[in-house]
Amino acid sequence: MADPGLLRPHDQPVVVHLPQPQPRLDDADDCNGLALDLIRLTPVPTLVLDSSLSVRQVSDSFLDFSGSRVRERTIGLHVDRLFDQPNTLPSLAAAQRALRLAQDTRRPYELEDVIHPLQGRWKAWSIRVVPIFRHAKLRCLHMEVTDSTEQHRRQLELEERLSTSETFRMFVEAVKDYAIFMLDPDGNVATWNTGAQLFKGYTREEILGKHFSNFYGQEDRDDNKPGKELADALRDGHVEDEGWRYRKDGSRFWANVVITPVYRDGALIGFGKVTRDLTERRKAEEQLVAAYEESSKLKSEFLANMSHEIRTPMHGMLSALPLLLDTQLNPQQLELTKVIEESGEVLLQVINDILDYSKLASGSFSISTDIINVADIIQSVFRSFEKCSKPETVLEYHLDHRLPAAAEGDSLRYRQIVQNFMSNAVKFTETGYIRIDATLVEEDDDSYEILTQVTDAGIGVPASVTKALFTPFTQFDNSATKRYKGTGLGLSICKSLAELMGGHIGHRPNPGGRGSIFWFTAKLKKVKQLTIVGPVQEKLGAITIDTPISPFEDIRLAATGKRILLAEDNQINQKVMVKTLESLGFDKVDLANDGKEAVAMVLREVSAYNIILMDINMPVLDGVSATREIRFAGITTPIIAMTANALKGQAESYIAKGMTDYVSKPVDRKRLAAILLNCLEQDSALRPLLTR
Amino acid sequence: MKIPGAADRIDDATFEQILEMDDDEEERDFSKSIVYDFFTQAESTFGKMDSNLQAKDLKTLSELGHFLKGSSATLGLTKVKDECEKIQHYGQKKDATGTKDLSSDDALSSLQTAIDQAKKEFKDVEKVLKRFYHDDSSPTRHQFCTPNQEIPHHDSIHLLPH
Repeated sequence: MADPGLLRPHDQPVVVHLPQPQPRLDDADDCNGLALDLIRLTPVPTLVLDSSLSVRQVSDSFLDFSGSRVRERTIGLHVDRLFDQPNTLPSLAAAQRALRLAQDTRRPYELEDVIHPLQGRWKAWSIRVVPIFRHAKLRCLHMEVTDSTEQHRRQLELEERLSTSETFRMFVEAVKDYAIFMLDPDGNVATWNTGAQLFKGYTREEILGKHFSNFYGQEDRDDNKPGKELADALRDGHVEDEGWRYRKDGSRFWANVVITPVYRDGALIGFGKVTRDLTERRKAEEQLVAAYEESSKLKSEFLANMSHEIRTPMHGMLSALPLLLDTQLNPQQLELTKVIEESGEVLLQVINDILDYSKLASGSFSISTDIINVADIIQSVFRSFEKCSKPETVLEYHLDHRLPAAAEGDSLRYRQIVQNFMSNAVKFTETGYIRIDATLVEEDDDSYEILTQVTDAGIGVPASVTKALFTPFTQFDNSATKRYKGTGLGLSICKSLAELMGGHIGHRPNPGGRGSIFWFTAKLKKVKQLTIVGPVQEKLGAITIDTPISPFEDIRLAATGKRILLAEDNQINQKVMVKTLESLGFDKVDLANDGKEAVAMVLREVSAYNIILMDINMPVLDGVSATREIRFAGITTPIIAMTANALKGQAESYIAKGMTDYVSKPVDRKRLAAILLNCLEQDSALRPLLTR
Repeated sequence: MKIPGAADRIDDATFEQILEMDDDEEERDFSKSIVYDFFTQAESTFGKMDSNLQAKDLKTLSELGHFLKGSSATLGLTKVKDECEKIQHYGQKKDATGTKDLSSDDALSSLQTAIDQAKKEFKDVEKVLKRFYHDDSSPTRHQFCTPNQEIPHHDSIHLLPH
């Protein structure tokens, strides 16, 4: 084997040959030069060591890189002496280790040496040693030393990045309490975590690639809710929704869903979807709300019961007082008795107010829809105040001539508001005038809007407290409480009442100087006019063109030729009811003394009766059971329940048991007329369909 | 139309309704017949109540209370109606408002009080109504008797429970 003598110490002069590297055709020479160039000119810092680990050759790049070293001084140096510059070269230990391992293993060996100096930046070196053997004997060692700091740094960063994203991935995979998964831009499921699998019941294999609308209910899918949510998420950068979502087995859970579009370098790569199961929380919330409502209802009921309980003995006291006043009392006793009477009246008013207020607060207060005549109410309130007003005050009223003679509304509650306004006005007006105005402000096909205002020339209301006037338990002046008695509830009750009547309430100062104007509006439905076929109606229409038909006239028209069955066990009530019905125009009234008789009479002559009036408590067979039998026989004649157990909510229970409507005893004629009219209208609408 | 001396014993609006049915405001045939029918009905009902109280038949007492409540309510005889309602509740072994349960003994003693009170209320209102219908015949013809029969008018109005 030709030895170019490359690695012998006396080869140094070869360097001298380099300035004139005349290419020779001699193979050996050519080879020599090439080997030498290979070592000296390689850009990779390279050393060639002999078996005793002394430097035999060194590359220019190594010299450059190790700084002050000069070739002459480097060649012949032992490795141990060469690697003693920790700042510019790898550590000696690393070099030794690389050399030793390469010799021991007889294979190329590479290691990385990272130096963390006490000061300055860390550096990384890559040392590669290739042992070269001839005849199994170590000939030399080829050693490359590279500064791998930059490469090492990048490697570290990459590792770090990989490790972070790996951690995140594991974290997301492992989360059980949230379903976290990715959708591709089209909404197909791209990833799936444990939580998602637990919530939704699909395994990863089952769901990947399927559209996420699978989790929605049919209705949501029909509305394209999933698509809209993605669009919203794209537009707003985020969308959050709560609703029912469905599991693989079809069961549903109440979910909170957040969808966030995910971009990489500005391009949409999909949507992140996080779902939480809020079923338990929702249940807890519902229970909480129910418990709250229950307790507030109990409170109101308690208030109502208490007020009711107090009212009974109060009535007794107040009824006894006038009798006491009639007896022979001396002036002092008389005065004391009058104090008791006055205080008692205030107390009763307070209790009534609290009763109303607690009913309003519990929402159990309802406005009835009787026939209401605003003008009548105002005149009647006016009269009652006229009697007891102070002589220094002048009372007047003005009614809009367009006010309807009849509309649907609650007279009692309407009157309550007017009365409250009036009693305030009277209370706070020592001298001057008090006026009631009622005007029709608006009228459409279905309803009237009526404004009622009470103007007084009293002490007025300071501007600072006008806002609080209609809040419960406020009185605008504590000193006024002493002079003017009252509860502070009245106006807040009026406000609720006005709102229940679809109106508003308010106050403004009297523009005429002293005093106040209290006003409220109410929307009253128009009374439905009965439509009777034929010329009678037209004739009537022509006659009564300017005078609205009263409800009694309506019922008299409708009653003609109609037959009523009255089931009632008490003869007195029978007599009164028959007379009442006659006065409403019903001339054919049959009587049944108990439920059994009633059923028999109805069954004997099916469709003979247009209406059945049914007492609830009757001997032999009660009204509810009788109704059940009549309905069971397939008879649909309207049945109106009558009872003295006039508790709220019972009407509904009777209607649920097959009755058509409900009237409480003692029977109010107007209310009865309205109900009968309603039943006849329905009946006449149905009858053509039922009879062949 | 106000009934003289009716105070709060008669509900104006309800009684008015009955009066409105009279064809002749002087004769008042219809309302008078109803009212006098009621007197008879009340007497007989009170009689039945007495015997059922003896027999301690609570259920029948409740039914009788309900029965008389119906007609007194129709006429607007508020106080009689209120007492009858109590009788109805006590007979069901409930308290006066029908909310709490009572023992049979308590129910019976309450019934005794309520029936007495109902009779008194009835007598009072009967007097008022008879005066209204210009009938001065003595109320002592009634079959039932009450412990305080001879006490003057004012004192006989027991407004508070004993």
